[in-house]
Amino acid sequence: MRQVPSGAALHARLIWRRNRGQIGLFVLLALLLALYAFLHPGLLSWAGIARFTQNWFPVALVAIAQTLVMLMGGIDLAIGATVGLGTVLAATLVGESALGAGLGITATVAIGVAAGGLVGTIVALFGLPAIIVTLASSFLIGGAALLVMPRPGGSMPGWLSEGLVGVHPTALLILILILVAWRVLRATPLGLSIDAAGDNPAGAFRSGVNVALARIAAYAISGGLAAFAGVYVAAQTGAGDPLIGNPLTLQSITAAVLGGVGFLGGQGTIRGAVAGSLLLAVLVNVMFFLGLPPVAQYVMQGLIIVAAMGIKRLRERAA
Amino acid sequence: MSNAAPVLAAQGLVKRFFGNPVLKDVSIEIVPGRVHALLGENGAGKSTLVNLLSGVLSPDEGRLLVDGQPCARLTPALARRHGIAVVQQELSLAPHLSVVENVALGAVPTRRGLIDYRRLAVEVGRVLDRLGLDVALDQPVEELPLGRRQLVEIAKALYRQPRVLILDEPTSSLTAHEVQALFKVLAELKREGTALVYISHRMNEIMHLCDWVTVLKDGTRTADRTMDGIDPPALVRLMVGREPGDLFPPFRSTTRDEPALEARALTAPGVGGVDLVVRQGEVLGIGGLLGQGQEELLLALYGALDAQAERLATGGVDRPSRNPADAIGRGLAYVPADRKREAVLLPLSIGFNLTLPGLRRLARRGLRRFAREAEVARELTAKLNVRGGGPERAVQLLSGGNQQKVALARWLPLSPKVLLLNDPTRGVDVDTKREIYLRLKGMAAGGMAVILLSSDALELVHLCDRVLVFRDGRIAADLPHGQASEEAIVAASLGVARQEAA
Amino acid sequence: MSGLLRHRVTLGWLVVVALWVAAGLLKPGFAKIGHLRYLLELASITGIVAAGQTLVVIGGGIDLSVAAIITFAAIILPLLTFPFDPSGMGAVAMTLAITTAIGGLNGIGVVLLRVHPLILTLATATILQGALILIAGGSAISTVNPAVTFLGNGALFGLPMTIVTWLVIAAVTLFVLHGTVLGSWLFALGTNDRAARLAGVGAGQAILAVHAASGFCAGLAGLLLLGMNRQGYVGIGEPYLLGSIAAVVLGGTSILGGRGTYLGTIAGSILLVTITALITVVNASPGWRAILFGGLILGLLLISGRERSG
Repeated sequence: MRQVPSGAALHARLIWRRNRGQIGLFVLLALLLALYAFLHPGLLSWAGIARFTQNWFPVALVAIAQTLVMLMGGIDLAIGATVGLGTVLAATLVGESALGAGLGITATVAIGVAAGGLVGTIVALFGLPAIIVTLASSFLIGGAALLVMPRPGGSMPGWLSEGLVGVHPTALLILILILVAWRVLRATPLGLSIDAAGDNPAGAFRSGVNVALARIAAYAISGGLAAFAGVYVAAQTGAGDPLIGNPLTLQSITAAVLGGVGFLGGQGTIRGAVAGSLLLAVLVNVMFFLGLPPVAQYVMQGLIIVAAMGIKRLRERAA
Repeated sequence: MSNAAPVLAAQGLVKRFFGNPVLKDVSIEIVPGRVHALLGENGAGKSTLVNLLSGVLSPDEGRLLVDGQPCARLTPALARRHGIAVVQQELSLAPHLSVVENVALGAVPTRRGLIDYRRLAVEVGRVLDRLGLDVALDQPVEELPLGRRQLVEIAKALYRQPRVLILDEPTSSLTAHEVQALFKVLAELKREGTALVYISHRMNEIMHLCDWVTVLKDGTRTADRTMDGIDPPALVRLMVGREPGDLFPPFRSTTRDEPALEARALTAPGVGGVDLVVRQGEVLGIGGLLGQGQEELLLALYGALDAQAERLATGGVDRPSRNPADAIGRGLAYVPADRKREAVLLPLSIGFNLTLPGLRRLARRGLRRFAREAEVARELTAKLNVRGGGPERAVQLLSGGNQQKVALARWLPLSPKVLLLNDPTRGVDVDTKREIYLRLKGMAAGGMAVILLSSDALELVHLCDRVLVFRDGRIAADLPHGQASEEAIVAASLGVARQEAA
Repeated sequence: MSGLLRHRVTLGWLVVVALWVAAGLLKPGFAKIGHLRYLLELASITGIVAAGQTLVVIGGGIDLSVAAIITFAAIILPLLTFPFDPSGMGAVAMTLAITTAIGGLNGIGVVLLRVHPLILTLATATILQGALILIAGGSAISTVNPAVTFLGNGALFGLPMTIVTWLVIAAVTLFVLHGTVLGSWLFALGTNDRAARLAGVGAGQAILAVHAASGFCAGLAGLLLLGMNRQGYVGIGEPYLLGSIAAVVLGGTSILGGRGTYLGTIAGSILLVTITALITVVNASPGWRAILFGGLILGLLLISGRERSG
């Protein structure tokens, strides 16, 4: 007879097992962080951590958003547009008072969830390829953002901007809250369905999992996260800008790929996405400190995508 | 025998794929406390029937009754709620998830909306113990060997405490020891009143376990009766529709002296050091349990898997093939087992499929010659007797047997020296089987070396000059025709003399 | 091929004709020969980029680097001015050779590193984008290259050179797709990559060839665009990435590969330009323009039916 572990012990072991295959990434990340802290000792202070996480935070959010969609065997080319929509909605809806701010942020995220859910519904129920549906949606969502605000404008309450992007690590705190929320979701049947539907959709369907619902949920959460990234960017810049999110589409894919999500679904983890985005952020900062011009970032980003995918393929072949 | 009312019944089921009927007016009654054998050759419609009974597919005609009540639209989730569980041949496991999560997937216990890990540990642990499956609850499924994964699949069905348990070839990759543990559990379930449906090719398992039998042949029900007073030859007669011996052409060896392919110390993913020689005109059989490296061997020879070898000589060159195109250039040809995913291009035309492998030779400097292509397509459809329409029709409109003929015929214009066949009669009707056997022997008689991988031991017994039985990626036995009986092949694949793998 | 495909290609052409007739009736200036010729000149840029894109997509891939390659061609050509090359033909040939090589590198990456083309070409686009900013900075670069000016503005037998170029590219593309072994291989690879490889299709050669062809087409489109505008700048190619993919999809080619024809893409390119022109005519804001555009793609996708999910 086997030893039956307690529920908490089993849960902890399952969570730990999901680090499998990612230790290399975490080690690389630790080394790079150490290098960065060595180059820039100012990192190791509240202010340093605050400033660093503020740059990283939006990328981390869209990396999680992209990973969720890629887990489902899709790809989301509308993430940048959704972030843009998030900024203009935030700059329009978020009021001066605390209540107004709360309602505005909630409304913005809700619209992001609805947009993502709609895209997910089209993909899941009509069987259309994600790449082309999200491409078309990027026009629809981007167009909606332009309707709300044809050019950068609007404003965010000063106290909110100060709270989110002032000299304190609020961003880090929110990120941890999001990770905890995901951990809770993952401990529900729906969360398990999302992972299973990504891993083996046909098998999950035969096991009685509502695969369509899992897909739609993944896209909806993804849309909500992208819209919230928009709220944060608006707080950073103090205004809404319909086009500001566009570069984030590529960065989200880079980070998700670095975090280990396969291109045909499955295998990705949220912690991987966060680690991938952190890796990207640290690399950018290290390059800055080494005195490379900002455009070198583009070249670096392109090269590391290819390197990451190439190494992954070669490792799979060797295995 | 139990005379209880059926839990699950089907009446007059009809199912078509692309207009081809695969099930024609099939009825069946699943009764509690009875082990119901579902027999039929590959492609007779067993898997389709199982998919209909479990809600994965919907019937085109006919109806399903659960507890005597008609069930308008059965889905997998609804079937589960009715207590119907299936152990599929094609595994439904999520490879990156753990054993517990897989076993409980779609039926996880919750408390206040969250997964109840405590109950999960207890309940899944109990099922695993019952099956004698000693794996860690949190182990990712992809780390398990194939046999263990099959047991996890069975655990998944048991975990649901089903009223109806359908097992589709559950023992195909289990060791003898594991099979015994499974049979003990099935006997208990039967006593507890579970309705069992058992699908297997192994006659001894059917004889040992089952009380009732339904036989399908080419999509129609040819028998539905008790197992009392029936013997294996009679069962085979019901399945095949004639004496088993009639299916195969009389054996005559056409082996010549010259080797067509020689391999020494061939290794590849799943293949650990294989030596083999196949001669011109020889039919070399490859057998063993599922997933012991047989398919990988063919793919390695064909350049579709990275392979190393001390010697791999064929077509006048001694090195592993770089890729399939290279292997084809050296005179190899490969007919995959998974016809729809690896052989024919379903939405494209019959003519396109027939000319694709030889297209470069038919063309002149890369430019297609349509008249030549049309001529070749016409010749091939006539020669292999492909029925189901002209060359411009899409292959997916053909029946399974005719699709398989296309998959085989497309190699003829290249006159390969070595033909690699991977389970060429899987999902094929009896008449086509006969035609394929004759064609295969005919090609060998013409000097072609044929390597025949088959999951059907009878094919190995009746068609092959020699049979290599695989186990753990190596050759476990090399049996010449005459010594290669069904029993000898099964014994060698189970490694009777060897310790069970840990 | 299947009736559905014919249906989708025909659908594209019918929509084009219907739009032209309707617009001609509503807006008298629209149906003037001069205006229609202008529309076709604009469509030829999209059409040429989409020719390479069609080949790649039918083979089961996608090329997201076309916009960056167009921009690259438009910026690099003015820098290739040499005294020994008064006609400018040398610079044109060099530019096309470079862009073909960039496409070839995409192909090599896809074949050797086995990176998904979506990711690989996205990476190429990013790298080129960085390189372009380094080369050109934020400023526009003008050209006086006679060959390019002729390509962008000249005429042959009364037909604008852009349209003549498009006709040549269209003829070659259609011939490659439907009359060569390479074309058949592309349909096979796009339908089922594994089955095609196991049937001996030269997957590596085919993928390399179509990516190089896409690089060539994008480079050529960049030169035509440069000739029409007489100056190149960072971002000049941007609209053509989505434009080329939309033209391919509107033309009835499956984005998942294996099904389609360039005949449809031609209709898709004209359709795209016509819609853009009409939206400009009704004076819609950029927001509405984007929404109409996205809604149209999605609508046509939903009408023309399901594909395998991807």
